[in-house]
Amino acid sequence: MSSVQADKQTEEPLDLIRYQLDETVLVKLRGAREMKGKLQGYDSHCNMVLSDAKEYIYNETGEPIVKDCEMVFIRGDSVILISPIS
Amino acid sequence: MSEPVPTVLPLEVIDKAIGTEVHVLLTNDKEFKGKLIGFDDFVNIVLEDVTEYDNDTANDGKIKKMLLNGGQISMIVPSV
Amino acid sequence: MSEDKVKTGPSVFLSEILGQQVKVKLNNGVTYLGNLNSIDGYMNIVMDSTSEHVNGEDFVKTYGDVFIRGNNVLYISQV
Repeated sequence: MSSVQADKQTEEPLDLIRYQLDETVLVKLRGAREMKGKLQGYDSHCNMVLSDAKEYIYNETGEPIVKDCEMVFIRGDSVILISPIS
Repeated sequence: MSEPVPTVLPLEVIDKAIGTEVHVLLTNDKEFKGKLIGFDDFVNIVLEDVTEYDNDTANDGKIKKMLLNGGQISMIVPSV
Repeated sequence: MSEDKVKTGPSVFLSEILGQQVKVKLNNGVTYLGNLNSIDGYMNIVMDSTSEHVNGEDFVKTYGDVFIRGNNVLYISQV
């Protein structure tokens, strides 16, 4: 069975986010915030839609404020980092 | 009537500095000193053997080779 | 002049370091060490086996795979 394997090194960073669609991701945001949720969609600006999301707001004390949202739109310019969570 | 004034283009100045040591000042309190390897149209620069300075204090450990994002650069100073 | 730029410029450096271990410093001072998987014209980066460091040394956590949005990147260096 022959299979054509895409050369992973020629894939762009945004292509690699595509593999995370429908998976749970951690998104680090400006303003000491993080969001964890299921990636429903994204675009080249890193605007994102997460479902069943939890928002973590960090302040000087160790304990973050946690907020739940069923569906959230994140504007791309506040995104620092995106990482899959297993 | 008046003689033409010779103009020097900024990117020429950077180009002439390739291969020499430069001092790069950023828009914040950071500085980098190293050998200029190359640059692009956005003035992202490649430096070699680099010392990083934070508020005028040098970080220990030189960086072998790096790409510095042009968006934060305010000044590039050739040593010569 | 443009020939020299092609030989030594940023795009050449990036193709050299693909697959290597790199240190990425962001504008906020946080540093990420990992293997460079891919990078694009906006300096968006994908790395694997990534660890996060604050204040130079203080290790925070490992991330595995990460995507870093290019506008946050201050520099990318060889390790």
